[in-house]
Amino acid sequence: MHLDDRLFSDKKLYLPLLAAVLVLPWLPMGTAGPYVIRIATLTLLYMVLAQGLNVVPGFTGLLDLGYVGFFGIGAYTAGLLTVHYQWSLWLVLPLAVLNGALWGVLRGAPTLRLSDDYFAIVTFGFSELIILVLKNELWLTRGPMGVPGIARPDLFGRVLDQPWQTYYLILFFLLLVLWVVVRIRSSRLGRAWFAIREDEIAAECVGVNVAHYKIIAFALSAAIGALAGAFYARWFRFIHPDMFKFWESILILCLIVFGGMGSITGALIGALVLIPLTEILRIVLPAEFSSARYLIFGLLIVVMMRWRPAGLLPVERE
Amino acid sequence: MLNALLEQSSLFLQQLVNGVTLGSIYALIAVGYTMVYGVIQLINFAHGEIYMLGAFLSFSLVSGFFGIGLPFALAVTIAVLVCALAGVLLDVVAYRPLRKAPRLAALITAIGMSIFLQNLALLIWGAQIKSFPREAVPAFLFAPALQFGDVVISWLQIVILSVAVILMVFLQLIVHYTKIGRAMRAIAQDQTAAALMGVNVNRVVSFTFALGSGLGGVAGILVGLYYNAVYPTMGYFAGIKAFAAAVLGGIGSIPGAILGGGILGLAEVFGGGYISSSYSDGIAYAVMILVILVKPTGLFGRLSRDKA
Amino acid sequence: MVRNLTAIRGRFSLVLLFVVLLSGFSGVVKVQAKTIKIPVASPFTGPLASFGEGVKNGALLKADEINAGGGINGKMVEIILGDELCDPKEAAAVATRFASDPEVAIVIGHLCSSATLAALPIYKEAGLPAITPASTNPQIGKSSPYYFRNVYKDDFQGDFLARYAKQVKNFKKVAIFYEVNDYAMGLKNAFIRKSKELGLQIICAESYMAETADFKAQLSKFKMMRPDAIFIPGYAPQATLLISQARSLGLKCAFFGADGLDDEIMLKNPDADGLFVTTPFLVDRGGAKVKDFVERYRHKFAIEPNWFAANTYDAVGIAAAAIAAGGLDREKIRAYLAGISAKEKAYQGITGATYFDENGDCLKPAFVKVVKGGKWVSAKEQLQ
Repeated sequence: MHLDDRLFSDKKLYLPLLAAVLVLPWLPMGTAGPYVIRIATLTLLYMVLAQGLNVVPGFTGLLDLGYVGFFGIGAYTAGLLTVHYQWSLWLVLPLAVLNGALWGVLRGAPTLRLSDDYFAIVTFGFSELIILVLKNELWLTRGPMGVPGIARPDLFGRVLDQPWQTYYLILFFLLLVLWVVVRIRSSRLGRAWFAIREDEIAAECVGVNVAHYKIIAFALSAAIGALAGAFYARWFRFIHPDMFKFWESILILCLIVFGGMGSITGALIGALVLIPLTEILRIVLPAEFSSARYLIFGLLIVVMMRWRPAGLLPVERE
Repeated sequence: MLNALLEQSSLFLQQLVNGVTLGSIYALIAVGYTMVYGVIQLINFAHGEIYMLGAFLSFSLVSGFFGIGLPFALAVTIAVLVCALAGVLLDVVAYRPLRKAPRLAALITAIGMSIFLQNLALLIWGAQIKSFPREAVPAFLFAPALQFGDVVISWLQIVILSVAVILMVFLQLIVHYTKIGRAMRAIAQDQTAAALMGVNVNRVVSFTFALGSGLGGVAGILVGLYYNAVYPTMGYFAGIKAFAAAVLGGIGSIPGAILGGGILGLAEVFGGGYISSSYSDGIAYAVMILVILVKPTGLFGRLSRDKA
Repeated sequence: MVRNLTAIRGRFSLVLLFVVLLSGFSGVVKVQAKTIKIPVASPFTGPLASFGEGVKNGALLKADEINAGGGINGKMVEIILGDELCDPKEAAAVATRFASDPEVAIVIGHLCSSATLAALPIYKEAGLPAITPASTNPQIGKSSPYYFRNVYKDDFQGDFLARYAKQVKNFKKVAIFYEVNDYAMGLKNAFIRKSKELGLQIICAESYMAETADFKAQLSKFKMMRPDAIFIPGYAPQATLLISQARSLGLKCAFFGADGLDDEIMLKNPDADGLFVTTPFLVDRGGAKVKDFVERYRHKFAIEPNWFAANTYDAVGIAAAAIAAGGLDREKIRAYLAGISAKEKAYQGITGATYFDENGDCLKPAFVKVVKGGKWVSAKEQLQ
């Protein structure tokens, strides 16, 4: 049985982990505290993104090369609404999520009959077009001027300005997303997705309405990406088209490939290991070699695919 | 009134020249993508990096970057041969072991190799744009060859078009009139059957990579000269455009890639010149998406094989 | 079943390792009271690395000079480099690293405006003062009481260029070819605004993306319109391609730009002969102090200094003066910097007199230099 099945139901397993994560901001870290919490917050954010991407390639077996597009849509929707109307995070977030889901469906609907490779190409082209729009349509997004001065997240009227507060906020979102994803996995919807992933034609024959389920997958995946984006905008308080490059899509893909595509815990582990790794590499490598980070990542992908293509926690065929 | 008309037609002709040149370059690169996809159904993301390698190698050999300076013709020849070799190495080291693995794994490996090679080039040569030293390159290339009024065609543009045409003809000859070409076509149709018929699949695939990469290398050298700029990220962007061209022509079809390259080059130049310059990259993306949604097999493509 | 237990144990160890690593981070950022750390943030690798190199070298040169003279109150100065690749995300990460280091009381950086804007809220929150030697975006000074700059702003530069183009060069028709980034667009907007006032005709404005390699489509269009000059607000790597392509198309007009074109790469391009750019720093204008700086720079780094180096040199000098006066106290340093508010109290460096207005911006003159025979030469006519 996969770890996915046991981890979230067995209290002996998940309670200690949850406790460790909750207690993190209060550990004695001296003056490096804010820095460490920031990396931890970033890691949790990428865990959310990994979960979102996992839905399409992981559950339905289609490769999504344009995930950064939804991340960007969520961030810009949230950022622009906040800057123009000063709305609360809790009003802006659902709007961003809905917008993301909408675009997920818009992108997905025409692609239902496409094979893997073609689908991947369309996702790539789509997200690149989104980035071009973000860069060029100044009247909407302020283009390369970016959107500075986005308000901090708020909760019940109070502004969350402490690092530990935003840490708990993203943790909350992660737990929410995990709850949804774990529930779905063992539900009829999840089983339908896995059927599609294993053999789409066979699934259709058995009565699975492939189109219907694929659309739900696209919507959910995009929605999660947009959720992460909305948080990102309110946390960073400045967004800029350069923050949403193709490289992000690849990075998030690496996370789930490393952990095992389709595996919920695999996606968590992927982010847990690789995101702090990028920070460690940044500190350890001298300034002239900072681009070596990307080189190491490229090598990592190739090596992983060669020796452990199914990831650390492979999802077994049922 | 007549003046304006003359000016506009001048501009049109000039854009035509620009577009055809750009199109030839895209065609040379696109052919590499399409050939590899034809035989092993893999989108070789790292192909753009081979193109970049061609540019860097010829630059390095000509300018003495590695300590030795060679005459132009020799440097170019060596660069192209090394590119062909690099393509074979790419296949043998990264893709062949995954021949039996799920398609997704091979695709992701290709992306990984692309990132790796790009950053390797960054470490070796640095991000600064390199230019061919003027003394080392035959000077006539940069001079204008023909001039009709306002329309200027440089020798280099003529060379690019000619080289592209000659190489395309050469390629078609190989594919249709040689034994190995026949083997390539057989594998593209049905790999298992071809193997059963005695075709050494591995060898033919390596040959395909060598051919495609060699052409990519030539494109890289031509582009390096044309813009007089060589930099590590040049493969990424050219690669995407060329890939869009291959998709437009029908991925797997060589004549399709050539035509696709031409069309995309012209579309980019005319779109950029007459409509909007900041979205000129977007044209490639839009083409990719539209073609796949409307007619995935492109202009000339055969029906795609069943997902095995 | 057994496999799962191993996996679970593996997970626990991973989490434990993670926690230990994070706690260990505090060790990395440990207090070392031996040196005075001055962090410098810029793109040291990537496409703008040559600008960043100037920043790095300028900082190192000044640090050497200070240390040779006994350091600041006896302690040696240590320059810490933070490579942010001109990327807002990286800039924020680098900024957080510096801000959470208690030994750091002032930051020199960043270079690209988008990077500076991303780092700004982090420094503001941490009460960490920063001096940027290179970011010319007007937004920066206004947005934070902690940010200062010793370089002029883009609206001033664009303005200046419009006046120079009209009054000194007597251009009648100018075309603009700008890069889609905040620096270039700020410049372009200021230039267009002033040109309208002065009656300088802008016949066309086209944009290009940073990755563009082929400019011929738009250049052919420009050629048809016959401009006297083409203004290129943007960076040197693209500008050099643009100019060469324009020449190969037969365009005979003049080219000009701003500080983003001030790079060696233009000198290497024979087509760029005659290009003029604005710059905050002219070697032959500064007198003995400047000559000495150039000599020492050439001796140590084997290349000519650019204005990034000169500005950073002064910025580090200002930072050192602030530390000497108030110690490693962030608030005291900020107050000191804010106190350099008038010409009389200005810091006298190789880039002239630096003093800050209420936004932290400074008023500095712009100079013009020209590419002639592969070298930068001061333009014969300057403008006040």
